Amino acid sequence: MKMSNDNRQDKDMASVVMACLFIIMGLVALWDTTNMVDSDSYVFPRAIAIAMILFSLALIFWKLAKPVAKKDADGVGASNFRRIALVGVMLLSCMLMPWLGFLISGFATFFLLMLVAMYDAWTPAKKIIYPLIAVAVVLGFYGLFANLLQVPLPIGTLFE
Amino acid sequence: MPGFENLLAALTLVNLMLAFLGVVAGTVIGSLPGLTATMAVAVLVPLTFTMEPSSALIMMGAIYTGAIYGGAYSAILLNTPGTPSAIATTFDGFPMAKQGKGDLAITLACIASVTGGLVGATFLLLLAPPLAEVALAFGPVEYFWLAIFGLTLISALSEGNLLKGLIGACFGLLLACVGVAEISADIRFTFGNQVLIGGIETVSALIGLYCIPVLIDLVATPDRHLKVTHEPRGFRFLEALAISWKHKFSLLRSSVIGTLVGILPGAGGSIAGLVAYSEARRSSSRSEHFGHGEPEGVMATESANNATVGGGFIPTLVLGIPGTPPDAVILGALLIQGIRTGPSLFVEGASIVYTFIYGLFLATFLMLPVGLVIGRYAYKAIITIPKALLVPTVAFMTVIGTYAIRNSISDIVIMILLGVVGWILNRYGFSPSPIVLGLILGSIAEQGFVQAWTIGAATGALPKMFFGRPISLVIIFFILISLFYPVVRKRWLKHRWRVTHEDE
Repeated sequence: MKMSNDNRQDKDMASVVMACLFIIMGLVALWDTTNMVDSDSYVFPRAIAIAMILFSLALIFWKLAKPVAKKDADGVGASNFRRIALVGVMLLSCMLMPWLGFLISGFATFFLLMLVAMYDAWTPAKKIIYPLIAVAVVLGFYGLFANLLQVPLPIGTLFE
Repeated sequence: MPGFENLLAALTLVNLMLAFLGVVAGTVIGSLPGLTATMAVAVLVPLTFTMEPSSALIMMGAIYTGAIYGGAYSAILLNTPGTPSAIATTFDGFPMAKQGKGDLAITLACIASVTGGLVGATFLLLLAPPLAEVALAFGPVEYFWLAIFGLTLISALSEGNLLKGLIGACFGLLLACVGVAEISADIRFTFGNQVLIGGIETVSALIGLYCIPVLIDLVATPDRHLKVTHEPRGFRFLEALAISWKHKFSLLRSSVIGTLVGILPGAGGSIAGLVAYSEARRSSSRSEHFGHGEPEGVMATESANNATVGGGFIPTLVLGIPGTPPDAVILGALLIQGIRTGPSLFVEGASIVYTFIYGLFLATFLMLPVGLVIGRYAYKAIITIPKALLVPTVAFMTVIGTYAIRNSISDIVIMILLGVVGWILNRYGFSPSPIVLGLILGSIAEQGFVQAWTIGAATGALPKMFFGRPISLVIIFFILISLFYPVVRKRWLKHRWRVTHEDE
């Protein structure tokens, strides 16, 4: 019985850790408000930071006092590699954009993300059609934003 | 007085064409995450400079109304509000789409938007001058309480964990404080980083917190983005109409809320949607279904945010004070046209104003066929596009949409990082919605609070300032109802269940 109980109940330590992080964040925010000169600037954020710390403390006590039913792990079989790759490619795109310009970094991002999100086999037809669609989408959005909406998209320092 | 001749003037072929084009352009632009209704109007407003004033107004109204509705597409299909007005649409719209009812949600959103638009336009037609006085009665403290009213939605969005919702809201409120303080111009929470001086842009934060987690989960498994249990059944118009009829009172109440919030300068569609959602949830017999794909939730938000279009024009035209940000752009265009807004406009420029109001009705009616057709294709596209194309397309849209807001690459980086933070927090039970609420309502709440505090302290009547004004008291009353009604109702139902079973 005891084993079964241990298996199904937990102190939800993850929430406790998250609450601790929010307390640290609140303390940092409080420290930063000491640099503010005008009371109009610090009254509101200070009140919010204190409230966040108090709510986080309450959450810690609540989670330690009351065990919760253990949940089955979410996203079993999900690819963390692809998740990290997605975020990495998007951040890489931001870093390359000032140098390569929006269009080239956009093509690179689109093609890389296409590889990251591809679960099916690359058939000869897909090898031709998908890149063509990618080019059409990137050029379409570029045309819409740069020409119609007059958004000054980066040209890239390499090409200036 | 509104006359038949103005209706006929609005119904010319040119005006019909302009209204149609405006609705189409607005809907398409509004559906792209990052492109707001303000941007849609601002980008297309130069097209109207050479037109007749009434035709120009009709086109701008059509663009605006289409853009507000367009925001529902990405909210329902991608969990990303196309415009901030559609934030609350994600709460039930995306769960409906996940359940395979995305087509129904889009049709419901369209019907609700048309209803809201018509109610707003009716108020504008019949009650504009007296309602404009209401806007003037709202001071800083009323805006503060209104923002707090919006924040009470946290209790509804916290999925049974109010503490996590409150922590999330505090996090959002702190994020809203980053950058230069609006009142005293102190630099806050930038930690020496120049990029943060401009603050965290709300729409890019919305895109990050809502869309990036969807992308992160989408790319991790080969499963489909949305569940498709059957082939799409056309527009599902009759089904949506029956649901709308069932919730007709909720639809009307939300439309009236949207109109009244739209009248308040600076409040805008996002607050209107949130307040209407909160009220719909509070008064619904199925309140526990809200947040899990309840059609009434989608209708409440969409009717309210489209009602702000007509509502927002009331102070714009009567007082010359823009009710919503797109109204400010339209006001500028009116000045270029040589139209002087003010109470006399409804007398001296009656033909232009009433032709425009009838044109707004026209554009709203046109939104029904246009919205249904575009919505159907958007839904079909989302469910049929292979994942290898959907993920990069959506990611590309988030990047270009975020960049377009302030032409800033740093905003894209902040958007992506906030998305990752949002995804991590969500895994540990911290829903993104309270964070977003805090972020959006933070500046309104702070500005109202500090101004009211300063006035109250200067006049030596601080408690009276916050708790002694009639409109404030009404809003506080609704805040208390919003907070405690669910608890009281739950206990009452429990008590009734116990009594019934004891009797048996």
